[in-house]
Amino acid sequence: MPKEITFRIKRSDNPQAASYWEEFKVPYFAKMNVVAALMEIQKNPVNAKGEETTPVAWDCNCLEEVCGACTMIINGTARQACSALVDNLEQPVRLAPLTKFPLIRDLVVDRRVMFANLRKVRAWIDIDGTHDMGPGPKISQKVQEAAYELSKCMTCGCCMEACPNVNSKSKFIGPAAIAQVDLVNSHPTGSLQKEARLEALMSEGGIADCGNAQNCVKACPKNIPLTRSIAKLNRETSTYAVKRWLGR
Amino acid sequence: MASKVIVVGGGLAGLMSAIKIAESGHKVDLFSLVPCKRSHSVCAQGGINAAVNTKGEGDSTWEHFDDTIYGGDFLANQPPVKNMIEAAPGIIYLMDRMGVTFNRTPEGFIDVRRLGGAKFSRTVFAGATTGQQLIYALDEQVRRYEDAGLVRRYEEWEFLSIVQDDEGRCRGIVVQDLKSLEVQVFPADAVIMATGGLGMIFGRSTNSTINTGSAAATLYQQGAIFANGEFIQIHPSAIPGRDKLRLMSESIRGDGGRVWVYKDGKPWYFLEEWYPAYGNMVPRDIATRAIFKVCVDMKLGVDGENKVYLDISHLDPKEINRKLAGVVDIYEKFVGDDPRQVPMQTFPAVHYSMGGLWVDYDQMTNIPGLFAAGECEYQYHGANRLGGNSLVAAIYAGTIAGPKAIEYALGLSKSSADLPPTLYQAAKTREDERTAAIFKMQGQENPYKLHQELGEWMLENVTVVRYNDRLQATDEKIQELMERYHQIGVGAGAAWGNQIVPFTRRLLPMLHLARVITLGALHRNESRGAHYKPDFPERDDENWLKTTKAEFAADGPHFSYEPVDIAYIKPRQRRYDVAKEVTMANA
Amino acid sequence: MANSFLWRKLHSLSGIFPIGIFLVEHMFINSLAVKGETAFNQGVALLHSIPYLGALEFLIIFAPILFHALYGIWVVYLTRNNVLAYSYFRNWLFYVQRLTALITLVFIGWHVLILRFSSGQISFSVVAQALSNPVVMALYLIGLIATFVHFANGLWSFLVSWGITIGEGAQRKAAYVSTLVFVLLTVVGVNALLAFK
Repeated sequence: MPKEITFRIKRSDNPQAASYWEEFKVPYFAKMNVVAALMEIQKNPVNAKGEETTPVAWDCNCLEEVCGACTMIINGTARQACSALVDNLEQPVRLAPLTKFPLIRDLVVDRRVMFANLRKVRAWIDIDGTHDMGPGPKISQKVQEAAYELSKCMTCGCCMEACPNVNSKSKFIGPAAIAQVDLVNSHPTGSLQKEARLEALMSEGGIADCGNAQNCVKACPKNIPLTRSIAKLNRETSTYAVKRWLGR
Repeated sequence: MASKVIVVGGGLAGLMSAIKIAESGHKVDLFSLVPCKRSHSVCAQGGINAAVNTKGEGDSTWEHFDDTIYGGDFLANQPPVKNMIEAAPGIIYLMDRMGVTFNRTPEGFIDVRRLGGAKFSRTVFAGATTGQQLIYALDEQVRRYEDAGLVRRYEEWEFLSIVQDDEGRCRGIVVQDLKSLEVQVFPADAVIMATGGLGMIFGRSTNSTINTGSAAATLYQQGAIFANGEFIQIHPSAIPGRDKLRLMSESIRGDGGRVWVYKDGKPWYFLEEWYPAYGNMVPRDIATRAIFKVCVDMKLGVDGENKVYLDISHLDPKEINRKLAGVVDIYEKFVGDDPRQVPMQTFPAVHYSMGGLWVDYDQMTNIPGLFAAGECEYQYHGANRLGGNSLVAAIYAGTIAGPKAIEYALGLSKSSADLPPTLYQAAKTREDERTAAIFKMQGQENPYKLHQELGEWMLENVTVVRYNDRLQATDEKIQELMERYHQIGVGAGAAWGNQIVPFTRRLLPMLHLARVITLGALHRNESRGAHYKPDFPERDDENWLKTTKAEFAADGPHFSYEPVDIAYIKPRQRRYDVAKEVTMANA
Repeated sequence: MANSFLWRKLHSLSGIFPIGIFLVEHMFINSLAVKGETAFNQGVALLHSIPYLGALEFLIIFAPILFHALYGIWVVYLTRNNVLAYSYFRNWLFYVQRLTALITLVFIGWHVLILRFSSGQISFSVVAQALSNPVVMALYLIGLIATFVHFANGLWSFLVSWGITIGEGAQRKAAYVSTLVFVLLTVVGVNALLAFK
């Protein structure tokens, strides 16, 4: 291992400003991850040329890959900076912001659209109220295990970034919200309102805009079976559409 | 009349408060430092406690209550704890109805596991990412009310301070948009703080980077009482990292994990030997001190370091995958070994603050109209929190704070709309000036380095074992850091997306709170729960069965003490080498 | 539902029914050439004897192809390919699907222009005449293979888009089937092409 690790970071002061690459050298330490390296840069904001610079802005919270905040493009692909161990990365390590979301500054982007998508598909269970009404329906271990896989989605945006059909030209909702529809629709109570969610997925930019590139399932850090959910909802939206039309 | 309540914090407690308020038809503005789904609640792994007794072990809410009081070394006021424990099964069922993917028994009932300090399996769980599942469910319910127009979310906005009227009532908040750094003021009839823990005061901990405690600390500076600050939970098992100490859930022990070190060339299961009644399932403070003794006093730590083995290699890999995949994945990702094959190496780390903003049984602080819920308040865990009780406390406190805030707001003779606009303008101006002043700081100190120094001192001197001379020295160090704080340089970066300016702002309240923790520990000359002084190794109920209350003053925190409400269970000696004696509900 | 959902579904469907069916039929008729000039010319004559030929040709062939092509151009436009950053097999096929879409579109346009509208009555000799030019032959080979790739991979994608293959296993088996379809069409199609001399 070299004594110093070089980081090439794509920076921009704001959404309008031109972006530029800046290099930093960080003294190597065992088990260094990208977040720890960025923290070192915060403490010593001097670039590889030895010039004082502004500390690099980036998002992070949990640092153990459950919150999704520190997602960025590391050596070309989207992933979490916390679980990106430098020992396993090609050097110099290249860091860039996600490209499918509006840029804020440096490595920080605005992923609000992902939460708006959850609202669009009504990814909640319509309970009658929070008053005590006893337990919910019994659920088999098999159903729970399948649902749990989907419920681990931390809206990090890796699937959106990897999807060729999610971009500024298209209105595609992306894989994450579709999997959440699968999650809620497969719950006994959630299924009572499943048509509303299917209709949301059939609206403009919905599930049919998926082109089956299937990058999402590979890019997902939580191994969520996104393509399975997409295909399953393809079936459900298709049969629902046909039935609805025939039932008119 | 619809009244306006503000909730600050988008973790479990904040979201539950918001849901309760919206459900009653009132409007709520919800502010969160990060998108709610990224709040620190996601890090809770092991589960949420409730005496649902689905294993037929004879568990009851009384047992759960007694375990909680006993586990907390009798420092918690008993009535609110009892209410929480009795509400716990209902909370589980509510979360179940919201679709949380709790693990199931073969018959389809909610499965339970055991956590430390309990003789019964009463921890409901969703794999090893229970907190994440709970918060996602609540977040979606809030989204539903957002869709209905009752909740307005302000994510990535930072709380700066409260607005108080001339009677001292809380009348709104001043916040900062973390993109533009613009300051705005929001009037309200009541404010609920649910801003979480303060682990970042210790530099590195199992906490998220957002858990600076600065919101609670700011309130303390504004006159809110901070209670039991000295009670900091050190979790026995975490894995080290330069950026974070990653938690390895207590559920690992609950599901059969064993703790050991080599002694005379053979594995020595010291918890099982020392605490035959509970074995590996002793509460966290007990386990942590045992590990400290083995590693520091007996020098038997793995590789001579402060580390022990946490071993699940004897468990069925299928069961591990079903119940523990979330934590095992973290270990594999960050350490590189497979815990199914090789014993994990873990060590203790700062995990939770039992102390927090002082609140009454209605979750209201000493500032009228200002409520607090979740880890940022002090009410439910006494001197040591049991694993699985934090999630239930956070959600339960939300179910109380929400309705009580509404009740308070409706009882006001004057709503915030009737107050003079100058009140709010003055508050905004105050914070605008503070922001401008921070931008002007161009000294030699780096705020991140100052923070690191604070963390190193706190970690070294104010965690597992505490000595008065070292506590004293730490307090002096904090005061030195407060001096050096004024020499910070924030550089010439523009306001847009600037992170160093908000961080610098947070650091000062953190330093104030560090003093509350350190001096609270210095004054409390006894050992109770997580607070342990070798020079005062026994619990001293005569002098210290009291809640610590710290109040801000220019010359440092002023301490006063208030007796603990022991309405139900008489304090008794707390030990885990023998079975806990049976107590009975006297009502 | 008057939005992209309907159009996308119709787009996916039209590639199989009727366009895919027509493609198979077309290759079948072409293969008559293997049996000789007379067989081919008789086959063509039989086709041309079908009643309402013009209307059928328009409804089953031209209109669907035109819709599939025009909407397809829109679909291709909406994509931002990223095979270099995410060089997974499926992503490459996704890219190839769009690449072959454009090649197939140009090929079919040219093919129809020179053999359907410019040559009067189609016959073995007319085709053989056209293909005697090695450049034309080479372009036909490229065009045919691109068409088969597009169809076979489109078949796989159709099965997913309509929710017929859901699980990973089913999708993998469908991939084998679509590969087989590609190989068969290529053998039959190229064999017929080479028969025109």
